[in-house]
Amino acid sequence: MSVLLDHLPELWQGLIVTFQLTAASFAGAAVLGVVVCALRVSPVRVLRAIGTAYVEAFQNLPLLVLLVLSFFGLPEIGIKAEPLVTAIVVIAVYEAAYVGEALRSGVNSVGKGQGEAARAIGLTFSQSLRHVILPQALRTVVQPLGNIFIATAMNTALAAAVGVVDLTAAANRVNLIEAQPIPIFVGAGVAYALIAAAAGFVTGRLERRLVIIR
Amino acid sequence: MKRLVAVAAISLLGLAACGESSSPAVPGESSQKGGDVLAKAPVAVAADILPGSTMEKIKQRGELLVGGSLDAPLLSQQNPVTGQVEGFDADMGKALAKYILGEPKVKIVNSASETREALLANGTVDVVFQTYTITEERAKQVAFAGPYYTSGLTIAVKKGASGITKPEDLNGKKVLAGANTPAIPAIKKLAPQAEIITFGSDPECIQALKQDRGVAYVQDETLLIADAQKDPSIQIVTKPFTVDPYGIGLKHGDDQFKKFVNDWLKKTQDAGLWQEIWKKSIGTVVTGEPPQPPQIGSVPGS
Repeated sequence: MSVLLDHLPELWQGLIVTFQLTAASFAGAAVLGVVVCALRVSPVRVLRAIGTAYVEAFQNLPLLVLLVLSFFGLPEIGIKAEPLVTAIVVIAVYEAAYVGEALRSGVNSVGKGQGEAARAIGLTFSQSLRHVILPQALRTVVQPLGNIFIATAMNTALAAAVGVVDLTAAANRVNLIEAQPIPIFVGAGVAYALIAAAAGFVTGRLERRLVIIR
Repeated sequence: MKRLVAVAAISLLGLAACGESSSPAVPGESSQKGGDVLAKAPVAVAADILPGSTMEKIKQRGELLVGGSLDAPLLSQQNPVTGQVEGFDADMGKALAKYILGEPKVKIVNSASETREALLANGTVDVVFQTYTITEERAKQVAFAGPYYTSGLTIAVKKGASGITKPEDLNGKKVLAGANTPAIPAIKKLAPQAEIITFGSDPECIQALKQDRGVAYVQDETLLIADAQKDPSIQIVTKPFTVDPYGIGLKHGDDQFKKFVNDWLKKTQDAGLWQEIWKKSIGTVVTGEPPQPPQIGSVPGS
């Protein structure tokens, strides 16, 4: 136990980086995920195909491969970013595929008549998506989005592969000196579990408040 | 879309290139010599295998479980052609196995440096040969036989880079290091203002150095010499500035086994086998005669 207290500053700094990574990449994934979802349900075939290709590509590639490929491969064609920025962008792009699919399941749960009614009163596709369908879709996917948030938090542990010193990397560095893997990694594991528990609690509350009983 | 494909293709090429540079210099030749070297390795007399001891348990099992790496060039690296693990640490492990079993039968458990202590404590491995630097902190968790090899950290930069001639020059600069290597605490001590960026493997650190992710790369001298020989775009700028004594990790408190392993190490050094193993691994990139092996038990914690 004392080993955790002795190294609290380093571990705390790592935890803050984990928070930053999680918050920034989930925010990015949420924005991009809406776009992916819009493409997936678009009436234009080409746009639908692009959306499908995006989801298939990123759901079928391991995040670690994407991270290492982007970090070491992109500079070869002149695109170079800091480790933290690379990690945020890559995790956001990756998780957006999952957010997009979760939203699409929400869109599918909105009655067909809602969309038809929206078009009947003269709303365009994007207007009916924005004002009628997405607000209802979002309410039904609070829990799946919460799960994606938790997955994002856990996936940030891979950012150490491209040099980001997050909680996992900080725990590794402390262990290198102290050689006490069990207390150190149990401590880090508890911190991750608390993040997941907090996210689960918030989404549970939100869902009860927002749910539409049909 | 085309652009994306192009990016992916180029990235893969880049990775393939850096993967290649990590392969051993002469894989076929060294594996051939390996058999000859181990043929001369000593075997313990039956009286040394005490009843009820760890040695006896290993003998009954029929193989030695070694915690090690599969991706450390010159020390312990799996040859993709033969499947054999080659290098200084790997051959020392095989020699110890032969001493106990009469044949060099080892099973290498790929132990990451963050799990070595736990693997030894719960009996998953019998010994660890993995550039395991002896420190007093670690000696509270595991027992160390040896040291069996002494190395030191040095600094590599891109060819032509100036301004770094000693560790203190790293202050205020971005410095690359292998994750979970002694380089991290060493940099923190000698250049507290340096920004340390870590990657999992040596080829990644070299790639990062070439892409200007950092101005210098701190790593074990042996590895850096091998890197600099394969890649003329990097150069080494200092002599080793630390002393890292590598020990053989054993379960904490097993004094009987520790004495046994130390006896083996002494015999291995006296018979010249230690020097032979050095010549066919580290000696393929470091010129000159094998160094004097370190004095057994000479380091606090050993």
